[in-house]
Amino acid sequence: MAPEPRKQTGARKASSPWQELAESYLVHHRKVARDSAERLWRTPVASSMTWMVMGVALALPVALLLLLTSLQGVSAGWESSARITAYLKDDVPLERARELKAEVLDDSRILEVELIDKEQALAEFRVSSGMEDALDYLEGNPLPHTLVVTPDKASRSSSGVETLVTRLQGLDGVERVQVDLGWLQRLNAMTDLLARAVWALALLLAAAVVLVIGNTVRLAIENRRDEILVAKMVGGTDAFVRRPFLYTGAWFGLGGGVVAWVLLQLSLWWLSGPVGRLAELYRSDFSLNGLTFDGALALLIVAMLLGWLGAWVAVKRHLDDIEPGEIAGG
Amino acid sequence: MIEFRQVTKRYDSDHTALRQVNFSLARGELAFLTGHSGAGKSTLLKLIMVMERPTAGEVVVGGQMLNKLPKRQIPYIRRHIGVVFQNHQLLFDRTVFDNVAMPLEVMGVPARDIGRRVRAALDKVGLLSKEKMNPLQLSGGEQQRVGIARAVVNKPPVLLADEPTGNLDPELSADIMHLFGQFSQVGVTVLIASHDIALINDMQRRTLTLDHGRLIAGGGHGT
Repeated sequence: MAPEPRKQTGARKASSPWQELAESYLVHHRKVARDSAERLWRTPVASSMTWMVMGVALALPVALLLLLTSLQGVSAGWESSARITAYLKDDVPLERARELKAEVLDDSRILEVELIDKEQALAEFRVSSGMEDALDYLEGNPLPHTLVVTPDKASRSSSGVETLVTRLQGLDGVERVQVDLGWLQRLNAMTDLLARAVWALALLLAAAVVLVIGNTVRLAIENRRDEILVAKMVGGTDAFVRRPFLYTGAWFGLGGGVVAWVLLQLSLWWLSGPVGRLAELYRSDFSLNGLTFDGALALLIVAMLLGWLGAWVAVKRHLDDIEPGEIAGG
Repeated sequence: MIEFRQVTKRYDSDHTALRQVNFSLARGELAFLTGHSGAGKSTLLKLIMVMERPTAGEVVVGGQMLNKLPKRQIPYIRRHIGVVFQNHQLLFDRTVFDNVAMPLEVMGVPARDIGRRVRAALDKVGLLSKEKMNPLQLSGGEQQRVGIARAVVNKPPVLLADEPTGNLDPELSADIMHLFGQFSQVGVTVLIASHDIALINDMQRRTLTLDHGRLIAGGGHGT
């Protein structure tokens, strides 16, 4: 097999055959990428339908993920305001309570201690409960002195709070220690559950995207059957024949990613007003987080990879069926 | 360049396309392959292009035993074999230039060389002025010549043609045959499957004749 004699190569700048091959490989990749993109542009309706389908399928799990991170932000925010309430024994006098307060404050893990004495507690209770008359019938003050302890930042984790609770319980004169973290734990459990559901949904929708792209690329393969036959006939490797379709898949993916991003931004914009008002009512600084630049980039990359994967599945299934044997006649 | 050793191709139990075919073609030889419809001409060409594998025997092209060739290697063999079909197999979604350039693109030839070599091939078949046209705008004879340009653009050592003059009038056919003769003169081994007895007789070249899968004339070793 006499290879084509290399003319002129020596006269040109000193580029090795390998360099030349790599260069033409890159040039070919660029050409195929551009050509695949142009093909999508030429059928704008069909392409945008596929982009929309992909966009919706991608936007849904991403939106839920964003909601999830926002919720996790809430629980993190509330954890910082965690307070420990220590109720003192009924018979502890005010002086002892003051001593205890000082003792607790000595601990470096404690940021602040507030002593609410019996009388103050009763007064507050009177005002807030509206049971003034009923309270008047009581002989004494049934309420104990109370220490409200705010841990410092480092001890606000659930394990940090736990150790503080044990320490407070060990103090002489402390009846009961209460941490109102129950609702927070429930929220955490709920977000954990939600997280799993979202990931399951994301997986299912990713599979759907792969199938949609696979089907679309299958049609593209059918449309370009003659081209595939000729390429195989003149010695195109499988990789060569596959390439335009893989790029097609990747472009479908990219378009879908862009649509998903637009949908997300639109729905965020649409929801931000009501969410802000709701958060205001709850006196929460809760807000829906949008996609960061990194997040958007990751969305696009994942979308392209999914498109590529879908194309790969289709190509794997259908390209081998097209063999040039059939064009040579009987 | 091409050698068949006791090649048998059986499609299923009752259809044997080729039976113990023996022949060899030397470098630069031009031969015809003839026989009635279904005699096995196309099968023989497909075996050379590794579109089919023989049931028994050996096919050797350019010193390569094709029987044992792994599937991955098939494209690289095909790059050394130019093929011309009766129905041209041109792509109508691109220009004449792009059609002819395909074998070079497949091989990863740098873009600047592609232009030069495509134009050289088109010049050879006399269609240099039509490189920017769509093959649909060309006549049947011109389309066939585009097919030939595509087959020879990467200067393959072997050129196969399956009924290349099937749809053409005698004058055009003679032109095309003259082209094939030129290629063989520069060392290309040319094998042309054809029905056209008159044309074959005119050319006075070696003729392999198949009859029901047997090679009944022109076998053995070439000149």
